[in-house]
Amino acid sequence: MAVTELRQVEKSFGAVRVIEPLDLTVQSGEFVVIVGPSGCGKSTLLRMVAGLEEASGGSIAIGGVDVTRKEPSERGVAMVFQTYALYPHMTVRQNMAFGLEMAGIARSEREERVLKAARTLRLEDYLDRKPRQLSGGQRQRVAIGRTIVREPKLFLFDEPLSNLDAELRVQMRLEIAKLHRTLDATILYVTHDQVEAMTLATRIVVLREGRIEQIGSPGALYADPDNTFVAGFIGSPKMNLLPCRISGRDDADRALVDVPALGLKRYRVRLRDPSAALPQTGTFGVRPEDFVATGGDGPADLTLACELVENLGSSVFLYNAASRDDAVVAELPRGTHPAPGDAIGFRICESTCYLFGDKGGRL
Amino acid sequence: MRRSRTWTLILAAGLAFFVALVGLPFWWVVSGSFKLPQEIIARVPTMIPRSFTWQHYDRLLSSSDYGTYLVNSLIVSSLSALITLMLAIPAGYAFFRLRFRGREALYRAILLAYAFPSIVVLIPLFTMFARMGLVDTRLSLVIVNVAFALPFAIWMLRSFFGSIPKEIEEAARLDGGPPLTVLWRIMIPLTAPGIAAVAIFAFVTSWTEYVFASVMILSDARRTIPVGFSGIIGQYQVDWGLLLAGASLAVVPVVIVFALIGRWFVTGLTEGAVK
Repeated sequence: MAVTELRQVEKSFGAVRVIEPLDLTVQSGEFVVIVGPSGCGKSTLLRMVAGLEEASGGSIAIGGVDVTRKEPSERGVAMVFQTYALYPHMTVRQNMAFGLEMAGIARSEREERVLKAARTLRLEDYLDRKPRQLSGGQRQRVAIGRTIVREPKLFLFDEPLSNLDAELRVQMRLEIAKLHRTLDATILYVTHDQVEAMTLATRIVVLREGRIEQIGSPGALYADPDNTFVAGFIGSPKMNLLPCRISGRDDADRALVDVPALGLKRYRVRLRDPSAALPQTGTFGVRPEDFVATGGDGPADLTLACELVENLGSSVFLYNAASRDDAVVAELPRGTHPAPGDAIGFRICESTCYLFGDKGGRL
Repeated sequence: MRRSRTWTLILAAGLAFFVALVGLPFWWVVSGSFKLPQEIIARVPTMIPRSFTWQHYDRLLSSSDYGTYLVNSLIVSSLSALITLMLAIPAGYAFFRLRFRGREALYRAILLAYAFPSIVVLIPLFTMFARMGLVDTRLSLVIVNVAFALPFAIWMLRSFFGSIPKEIEEAARLDGGPPLTVLWRIMIPLTAPGIAAVAIFAFVTSWTEYVFASVMILSDARRTIPVGFSGIIGQYQVDWGLLLAGASLAVVPVVIVFALIGRWFVTGLTEGAVK
């Protein structure tokens, strides 16, 4: 296992720059997930690390060796593709052994490593089958097996679960997490699904339009987002981001904000940098799960009229104006069944409210 | 969706018409080769033979060089098909895989080979072959056949390579396969239907090639079927029995090639690779 370092790596296709120069270090044993919306350049970034795409600038080093201009096979990486990319005319065994054979590893050792990987992935019974005789989940496990046998310095996963159905996705997610632990593998993983990122990563890189928006642990990104994009991207349902007016600050250097959508006036919000200058307008953020329904006990900070209720069983979400842009989503305690039109009182806590400037940056 | 009875009838009639259009002449040739001469030239042609005889085949094989022509044709066509494949596979793969200046222009230009009627290149080619001592050799026919089959073969194979999901090839590159190994171990097995189609195309064009075979070959012992056969059936009067037997027999190797290679025409070769 080894450290992977990207220094000022950038990528342009003709005149279009898809990756701005960026730095990223993946420590040995880390599980780094690159997450972002479609077209943000995350797959391109991964493919540059793999060597399938040439970097337009900057350098990539794996285990201290500069691999920027090296062939994919000389980089010590192995990759799992979204579409599995198995060799359809070969059996599972041959699929897994092909890379080893190309590396000139003796037949007996090939056999041994394939068996070991097959055991880890519960594929022993399928070794002599062709990919078309396998289910989607099994195919994905073969694709993972093909990378494990090569014992690479760095595992690359390109949206490996997007082709699976919801149930299988959860199952494979757990298996990948387990693999990371048992193999002590270094993994760079790309997905557009923030749930995958949150559950798998030791560190998340949020990418937008070829730029890194924030890097941090899942907990840090959730609790301390740098900007409205990260705040809205991490967490489901997404954070309520509502326009607000900033009327000043109190003695404790907290901002005082008016949020018309919530009916809040001079509400106190903690600032990340208390000495920062405050603009006149901004965005107020609060997550649906940070609303606490008062249920009639004590005073409420705000009241929301219920227009639509989504009952997911484990949680219930209230929407106050589903069709409007500044609709507010708030979580209700399990088992609450408000009727449309009901007014529900909520408390919110200043430590879980966020304030962003008019350009989206955190204040 | 249910079709009405009228539509079903119209479709069936249409289908029967086209089957007859293709099948009847073929049937007439094959069945005619077993008829007695009087029945073949009867004023009212018979679709169901009233007589049966091997005499035309007997005469064809015993008193003519048909057997020699057949062997010559087999040698020339098989070699042409083989060499076409050996050149077209790497060329098609290179056109598909490599990025080089002028690739698209060159790719289109190779089809220009078909812009010239063969008769135009015949005379200069004959002069060239004469200087090289290739006239009256089967090799000259192989060279010509390969030259004419190759552009189309390259075109076809490149598009077959293009139909393979690119991740499969990328996975092979990550697995450390050198380009020729990837071609041999991954790409060729997956393009088998395309390769089979090209093999059949090259074989059949060589098998039926007449113009060059009639000019390049001078001695009877090196003639291929189309030319040799045209000599057998008579210069002044047509021996219909011989003609039909020869035509029927000439089809057999092509049918065998189809049967052998046809099993490669399986769809869904890449099934299970992606998704």
